[in-house]
Amino acid sequence: MKIVMSVAGSYGQRTTEMKHKLNKVSLLTLRLRASAVNSNSLRLSASAVSLFILFFFFTSCTKKPVEEPYKPTPYQIEIPFGFPTKLNIPDDNPMTVEGINLGRYLFYDGRLSGRTHPDSLMSCATCHRQERSFEAGIDHPDFPGGHPHGLSGLKTHHVMLPFINLVWNHSGYGWNGFLYTDNPSEDLRNIEDFVRLAVLAEDEIGGDTTRVKNLFQTIDGYPELFAKAFGSEKVTFNNIERAIAQFIRTLISADSKFDKYMIGEVQLSQSELNGFVLFTTEEGADCFHCHGGFGNPLFTTHLFYNNGKDTIFTDPMDRFSVTSDPMDRGAYKATTLRNIELQAPFMHDGRFETLEEVIDFYSHDLLWSPLVDPLMHHVNRGGVQLLPFEKQDLLNFIKTLRDDKFLTNPAFSKPEKFPDEQ
Amino acid sequence: MKGNIKIWLLVLVASLFVFSCTKDPVKPEEEAGNISFKFEHRIDGKAIQFDTMKYVNAAGNHYLVNEIQYFISDIILHHSNGEKQVLDAWDDIIYIDTDLEETQFHAFPDEISPGSYHSITFTFGINEIKNQSLMFVNPPESFMFWPELLGGGYHYMKLNGKWLDTLNQVSPYNFHLGIGQVYHSFPDSITNFIQNYFEVELPESTFEITAGQTLDLTILMNVENWFQSPNVYNHDVWGGDIMQKQDAMKLACENGWNVFTLEK
Repeated sequence: MKIVMSVAGSYGQRTTEMKHKLNKVSLLTLRLRASAVNSNSLRLSASAVSLFILFFFFTSCTKKPVEEPYKPTPYQIEIPFGFPTKLNIPDDNPMTVEGINLGRYLFYDGRLSGRTHPDSLMSCATCHRQERSFEAGIDHPDFPGGHPHGLSGLKTHHVMLPFINLVWNHSGYGWNGFLYTDNPSEDLRNIEDFVRLAVLAEDEIGGDTTRVKNLFQTIDGYPELFAKAFGSEKVTFNNIERAIAQFIRTLISADSKFDKYMIGEVQLSQSELNGFVLFTTEEGADCFHCHGGFGNPLFTTHLFYNNGKDTIFTDPMDRFSVTSDPMDRGAYKATTLRNIELQAPFMHDGRFETLEEVIDFYSHDLLWSPLVDPLMHHVNRGGVQLLPFEKQDLLNFIKTLRDDKFLTNPAFSKPEKFPDEQ
Repeated sequence: MKGNIKIWLLVLVASLFVFSCTKDPVKPEEEAGNISFKFEHRIDGKAIQFDTMKYVNAAGNHYLVNEIQYFISDIILHHSNGEKQVLDAWDDIIYIDTDLEETQFHAFPDEISPGSYHSITFTFGINEIKNQSLMFVNPPESFMFWPELLGGGYHYMKLNGKWLDTLNQVSPYNFHLGIGQVYHSFPDSITNFIQNYFEVELPESTFEITAGQTLDLTILMNVENWFQSPNVYNHDVWGGDIMQKQDAMKLACENGWNVFTLEK
């Protein structure tokens, strides 16, 4: 089919040339007829037909101006040891080196707000800081307590979740998982949609997609980057979403002390080992059912649990708001524990400022309700009742999940110069 | 001469058509049948009403079920002529999850010899040769991992729910089965591991395979049987977690013999 289309296309473009050629063909046909009258005409006719075909083929081709074809470089994610092989990459946004490169610029460029005044710039990186595992962090200079707000001052409904290992999340993005791949609403499915929602949301960037794409169209260097990534210099918001999503999918953390321990490169300290035992035993701290471990190195199931924080549930954006299952009231995503020490404040509402407070909560302060998840089987005792030295061991183990290489990886960091500064 | 050319061209075109066609291979007569399993989960003969405190086990515990996730493996069809056929031999560990509908139906690719079969057997859980850590890296199977310290590999089953305890409080239970441990001193000195997987022979599991047809069978898990025979399993005795309680897992696995039945 492709060949037919291509021939038809060439023919259409070259009508004049073809008319000229057809005249030549008519002359040739006359000559052929004349020769057919002669003796030995069969052999001559066959030769003439061959000549005709060759002539037609050679003369119908004309040289086209050479254009640089759109050929982005496919980007292959390397699967770290023990990690899942199934990736959440939409079919309509395959990862490419050029797409990721563009996405990195856009992720960090404050003009993603659609504005250029220094006071009103805002990008993904304004809140998602690499040194805080792409979360705001409790020490964020602009968001005291680590609870971000938009340019309008309006706070986000929940505190942040980190951008880390999201390419392995198949269970929905956000604390309540409202973006999921088989969502009937086609515009609420994946990280691409997160980008758009963040740009539009008043409590985040509070921008306008048309204004944003128009602005990037005018910034030197960006149209060329869009052409390399998506085959056209025309900037579309859809391609802005796609590029940033591609970049976010590269944010992989798999080089913590625990990862090295898994492959036998380092040994954990005795306290860390004790903490690991507590982490992965039901009679210990019993963290592993929701937060993974050796067999699930994501350190999350990405699933949703009511973990016994409250007895009354009024949050309009809990898991129930997505599933309409009354058992999901008060349920939220189990966060990954990778780099968790950098991601304060903790829980969906940021109620705990330190990991010590979180461990105390799971040890002594669980609250029973009919909706508490069955995996919280220590709830009627108030928690797992860790002793002080056990809490310290558990904390020391959790800190082995810190990945400093991820926090400083130049491939994830702010570009030295934006395209118009080069 | 013109006429000759026409004939020559006609022969050429005709022969092109004739020789460019190859005969479709004749489809052999169907010599095998197929089989599929649907998995259903019942209590007292009826489909489970999840998250509803309406069931009473043999020990008198009032309980509810929230979810069930488990593996079966090594499924063997026993032909009346004495032959055995292992199903899906290269992908023979099946994961079933009451939260995931797509896991509750399994169509096997195997071609099955027609005839009468007198029984179906399978392993509940995974045997020690196959039950290796990190053999499943993708969810949902990977979420079933059994901690290395406790024997590694994967849970055979997670049956999560709640029961009314002696104080009449609704308490969560995690009826989790897998590799057991022998402790020298609890909880950190383990001297041995115990493989708790067991073979299930589905009672009254005769069936007929017909060439060219797929036989759809339903495998039922009768949840109440985990708690009643030969051992009365009492949540008040064993509490909410049993992964580190080999005695409890032993009782539960002994009860597993009649948990599964076949519905044709």
